[in-house]
Amino acid sequence: MSCRPILKLTIPAKPEALKGLRDALVGALDREGADNTTRDRLVLAVHEAACNVIRHAYADGQDGVLRVTLARQRGMLRFALRDFAPPVDPARIKPRDLDVCRPGGLGINFIDDTMDSWRLRPLKRRRGNLLTMRKRVPRKRHGETT
Amino acid sequence: MNDCSIEHQGDFALVRVRGEVDLSWSQKVRKTILDALGKAKSVGVELSEVSYIDSSGIAALVEGFQNARGKGQKFALIGSSAAVRGVLELARLDRVFPMVDTVEAARA
Repeated sequence: MSCRPILKLTIPAKPEALKGLRDALVGALDREGADNTTRDRLVLAVHEAACNVIRHAYADGQDGVLRVTLARQRGMLRFALRDFAPPVDPARIKPRDLDVCRPGGLGINFIDDTMDSWRLRPLKRRRGNLLTMRKRVPRKRHGETT
Repeated sequence: MNDCSIEHQGDFALVRVRGEVDLSWSQKVRKTILDALGKAKSVGVELSEVSYIDSSGIAALVEGFQNARGKGQKFALIGSSAAVRGVLELARLDRVFPMVDTVEAARA
């Protein structure tokens, strides 16, 4: 089902671009009526997904871009992150055991805990990967404040 | 504005972190914490002015904590902001790190 994007931006796959991504997401999610706690969790999850693209998909500091789209489908917010990096094996992308205290590897846990569903798939024929994440967030009613 | 600094107070080193800790500069936070652990018996990381932290920032804190524990040094997080606490809870690390409210408590 197609729907009009609420937010659509392309950023360089560089850590310095993450702040701009977060700021854009905060604005869009505020307009969509997400409460502050939900908004901050969603921003963190999308940020972590972008970090994974920068660190792992575009490994070794490769130049590249990341397209981020946010859209509403019925009561769900749909976040899509499209990269143009070599294909990633989705079977290798899974949350880790949080009872083991070690640095790193938390990003997928943050995504998995926050989103209602998510799916990563390498794009056939075309180079790149597409991560889609969905979260039910009721639309803000007219005049309502969060 | 993002900033990370060390203040030495005898055997204690206070690492002050400010701003939004993310992948763009979390390596600086990591290095500052490890430098502090290399020069002091006890380290406190002050986080009250951290408005955002991602998993790379949390990894810097975990590495510091594990490094300190491995060498028998004291390590504590001081005055963690709500943003930091929220991410520590998500990572189930809020009960792993020693957390205190004041610099004096970290030094004690």
